[in-house]
Amino acid sequence: MDSILTLLIFFPFIAGMFGFMIDQKSIRAYGISVAFIEFALSLVLWFGFDSQNPGFQFIEQFPLIPQYGISYFLGVDGISLFLVILSTFMTLIALIGLTIEKDVKNLIISILFLEMTMVGVFVSLDVIIFYVFWELSLVPMLYIIGAWGAKLRIYAAIKFFLYTFAGSLIMLVGILYMAYLYYQATGVWSFAIPDWQLLVVPFHIQLWLFAAFFIGFAIKVPMFPFHTWLPYAHGQAPTIGSVILAAVLLKMGTYGFVRFSLPMFPDASIYFITPIAVIAIIMVIYTAMIAYAQEDMKQVIAYSSISHMGIIIIGTFAMNAEGITGSIFLMLSHGIVSGALFMLVGNIYDRRHTKLMSEFGGLAKVMPKYATIFGIMLMASVGLPLTIGFVGEFLSLIGFYKVSPTMTFLAGTGIILGAVYMLSLYKKSFFGELTNEKNKNLKDLNKMELASLIPLVLLVAYLGIYPKPVLNPIDNSVKNMIELMEKKSITKEAKELIKKANSIEEAK
Amino acid sequence: MEKYVYLTLFAPLAGSLFAAMFGMSKKNLITGIVTSALLFVSLFSSLMLLGYVDEEHIVKVNLFDWISAGNFDVSFGFIADQVSVIMMVTVTTVSALVHVYSIGYMDHDEGFNRFFSYLSAFVFSMLVLVMSDNFLGLFIGWEGVGLCSWLLIGFWYYKKDLPREIYPAISPSWAANEAFIMNRIADLGMLIGLFLIYWNVGSLNYDVVFKNIPNVDISIVVLIGIFLFIGAMGKSAQFPLHTWLADAMEGPTPVSALIHAATMVTAGVYLVVRANEVFSLIPNVGMFIASLGAFVAVFAATMALVNNDLKKIIAYSTLSQLGYMFVAAGLGAYWVALFHLMTHAFFKSLLFLGAGNVMHAMNDELNIKKMGGLYSKMKWTAILMIIASLALAGIYPFAGFFSKDKILEVAFSEHAYILWFMLWIGAGLTAFYSFRLIMLVFFGEERYKRFGFHPHEAYAFMLWAMAPLGVLAVISGFFEHSFKEYVTAILPDYEAHIEPHIVGYVLIALTLTMALSGILFAVYKYSRGGFSKKWEETWIYKLLFNQYYIPQLYEKFITKPYAELSKIAWKDIDLKIVDSTVDFIATTLYDAGDKSRVIQSGNLSKMLRWMAIGLIVLLIAAII
Repeated sequence: MDSILTLLIFFPFIAGMFGFMIDQKSIRAYGISVAFIEFALSLVLWFGFDSQNPGFQFIEQFPLIPQYGISYFLGVDGISLFLVILSTFMTLIALIGLTIEKDVKNLIISILFLEMTMVGVFVSLDVIIFYVFWELSLVPMLYIIGAWGAKLRIYAAIKFFLYTFAGSLIMLVGILYMAYLYYQATGVWSFAIPDWQLLVVPFHIQLWLFAAFFIGFAIKVPMFPFHTWLPYAHGQAPTIGSVILAAVLLKMGTYGFVRFSLPMFPDASIYFITPIAVIAIIMVIYTAMIAYAQEDMKQVIAYSSISHMGIIIIGTFAMNAEGITGSIFLMLSHGIVSGALFMLVGNIYDRRHTKLMSEFGGLAKVMPKYATIFGIMLMASVGLPLTIGFVGEFLSLIGFYKVSPTMTFLAGTGIILGAVYMLSLYKKSFFGELTNEKNKNLKDLNKMELASLIPLVLLVAYLGIYPKPVLNPIDNSVKNMIELMEKKSITKEAKELIKKANSIEEAK
Repeated sequence: MEKYVYLTLFAPLAGSLFAAMFGMSKKNLITGIVTSALLFVSLFSSLMLLGYVDEEHIVKVNLFDWISAGNFDVSFGFIADQVSVIMMVTVTTVSALVHVYSIGYMDHDEGFNRFFSYLSAFVFSMLVLVMSDNFLGLFIGWEGVGLCSWLLIGFWYYKKDLPREIYPAISPSWAANEAFIMNRIADLGMLIGLFLIYWNVGSLNYDVVFKNIPNVDISIVVLIGIFLFIGAMGKSAQFPLHTWLADAMEGPTPVSALIHAATMVTAGVYLVVRANEVFSLIPNVGMFIASLGAFVAVFAATMALVNNDLKKIIAYSTLSQLGYMFVAAGLGAYWVALFHLMTHAFFKSLLFLGAGNVMHAMNDELNIKKMGGLYSKMKWTAILMIIASLALAGIYPFAGFFSKDKILEVAFSEHAYILWFMLWIGAGLTAFYSFRLIMLVFFGEERYKRFGFHPHEAYAFMLWAMAPLGVLAVISGFFEHSFKEYVTAILPDYEAHIEPHIVGYVLIALTLTMALSGILFAVYKYSRGGFSKKWEETWIYKLLFNQYYIPQLYEKFITKPYAELSKIAWKDIDLKIVDSTVDFIATTLYDAGDKSRVIQSGNLSKMLRWMAIGLIVLLIAAII
């Protein structure tokens, strides 16, 4: 168990290298096996994880460039554990559901490389290592969109790459300055996240650093008005690209907020609550409206992702354990649900080579299994209780309510608008008369498709009914982090807000 | 006794899952039989609990933890106390009978198995709603019944959309979405109420909340009351969120009987009754609830007066009766509200099932103007529907007399004379539209012959399934005293005080007279061919017939603008402003690079010149 994290990161990479030697015909089986082993490894990690311990576990550390305090430093806590499992799980599911034939070998190898970077981002405790994986994750995705995408794929791929890359560079400036600050304050160089989290940064510098990191994260999430790369990327990416992008890559941004912005710059985070909440509310309402106006099924899901990310942001900035735990849970549930929805769109696209809702209608009649699974995912997406979608959404909103009732109400309109666009999508595609001749003989889901979707359905139900095994470790680590934030915050406002956000009103 | 709680709750779920296994295969009678049998198990268990529960014996079970984060902690806890047991018995009684009835009603439907799966899932959700011991569990049931209602309203999803002008509820799937979305609007209010409760009390468990609520600042209690009631307004279709209920009649008729008359729509009333500790603290909010209820009671009844759609008339009647219940609940007479909820469930579901028989006989025709004289063809259905209508109109000794009259008494004794007057008028209207329906369907000229229908009576077992409801519609009023004794063990005891006694009797007489004259007027008028054509051209008829133009207003001022605004947000703002700005920055950078590339020409003298310019610029910059 000592170097399980290293194994988790590099196993897909090495396996991917060997993949070049595998025959084109057997590459799918190979890819799925590798992803399965990787997923099993992440489960081993979970079983070995002590959920009572809120700190980092499975720590591995050895110096890389000791002069500058850069080390190979890995570890997981409750916050990152499930994001790792989400990455390995969704990679496996996406590979099972893969239907592309063209250059499938290169595609699968790209996916395995991508898996390395995703796991790497979530388990790195050294900022340089983190940054390396963060940036590396762009490369396989650029390739996946650019090589297997639809008509506008080159434009979409470059837009995705340059946009997120520009954001990351600003973040890099922030990283370097933060390291310099750390050196000034302590006299030693360190890029270790736990060290940085303990550093008390003067308030006015916090504001600048927060802004630098914010741009990097906000583009990744993506937050309004930096979101326009996402619809293109989703619109052009092949199904597997969209699944991974929505399920995992976007979560890197929100994870960044929890891992960096909150504990390192607590005062700045609290100072910026209102503007950030306003942006989040715009995301929730504005993109929900745009989603309603779409004609393409996949674009509805793409915009709905942005809308849900708004709720995640709201929960993250609730500054209490309810909200932050909820937002991390929502990251997981959104990963599973949006991943599933993109796969479902992919299934119909494989059959009809169109995603326009006007081409469909009455699909429930010919594809009842497909309609049922789509319906379940729809309900999870709108946050019906006892599905996975409810838990995180509810906790995020209840958490932020303590900070601002009015803004929570506005963000809460997401539960109405979400139902509006999802139900209208469902009605247009699945209900009504089956008029289009081309749809009359569509085949229902085949075994391979079911194999990729049914685990997701089970998970949606299981974690909706019994989220405790996941919530518990997250909550422990979050509580730990909030304690730290309260201790190191310097402004009076921040201290008061954290205290207020975490206490039930005294009964008078 | 715990086992009866589990049995009541999970028997319908088991049935639903069993039927779901056959969901995509051909009709299989076994699904109908198994689900019905399991519902009788559920009914039996809840009757056992009804006998068991008293002041000392309240059954609580706790399954396992659900959500816990921070200080927040909620588990799947269920309680069988006097209020929930009454609800359980009502729900399971009606459900079990509706299940049996549906075996006949859905006989020829290809979605037979799917139907029973949904229907049992609904019962399960409804039981979760009434049995939970905390607000979040209630919310599970609340959303669960919403989901099942969506599935069942849109059961015939394959019907196509029709133009709104000739067919107000465009299609079943449209009506289903409307119901879901309307309810979601109210749910947001409900959620806000829950947030308020949590942050002020620290828990969502009924026990803790009701114990601590008197210590909470009164202004916050008012807010809690308002937001919870907003939630109730959605489920119970109170104005202005009422339009979905009439459109929900797109669903199969047993669904209308069970969900949109007897059980789900009364969830809002149940919520107010359950949270009586909250609402008793804030009589002003209660007064608002009562006033809105009285308004809806009359408002909905007027729409029922002129409608020609068999099911919509009954739907408006349901709305109106829900208004009555809210008057009682709002004025603090919680047990009266619950009592009317129960009796109403019996006679209203009976009425709907009767309507189902008529529809079957008439090949799903709904226009009562095309019926008439059906009594000779379907005597038993007619008798059962007449019983139900008498109960609805509140004629002694039928159930509605006891419960509805009690509500009028409450209004009078609270000195809410205006409310009393409205309800009194409402009683007359109720009697009139009920018997207008009876007269137009069962008596008078046999108009159906003109349209080539060949009506026939329903299967005998369907009538047998209705018979118990018929009996209950007659006798359940007589349980008033034992009912009151039973539930006031935990609900506030309310006794209408009307002094002197003679006034009370006068009031009863007045109400009865009102109801009787409504009936007699309807019978008199429609045995002579009804109103003249001229009446249908008056503006008031048109106003009522078009539901006060409210659906059109929503369409014009909410639905359409939202769609247009969404288009603008996408095409004009997101693509033309936000995205173009990003691309503009990118192309500007690119062009700048492209243009300045000429500098790198490799020509030494040019480069020296640029160097000189650069030097000058830097010097100037240094000086400034």
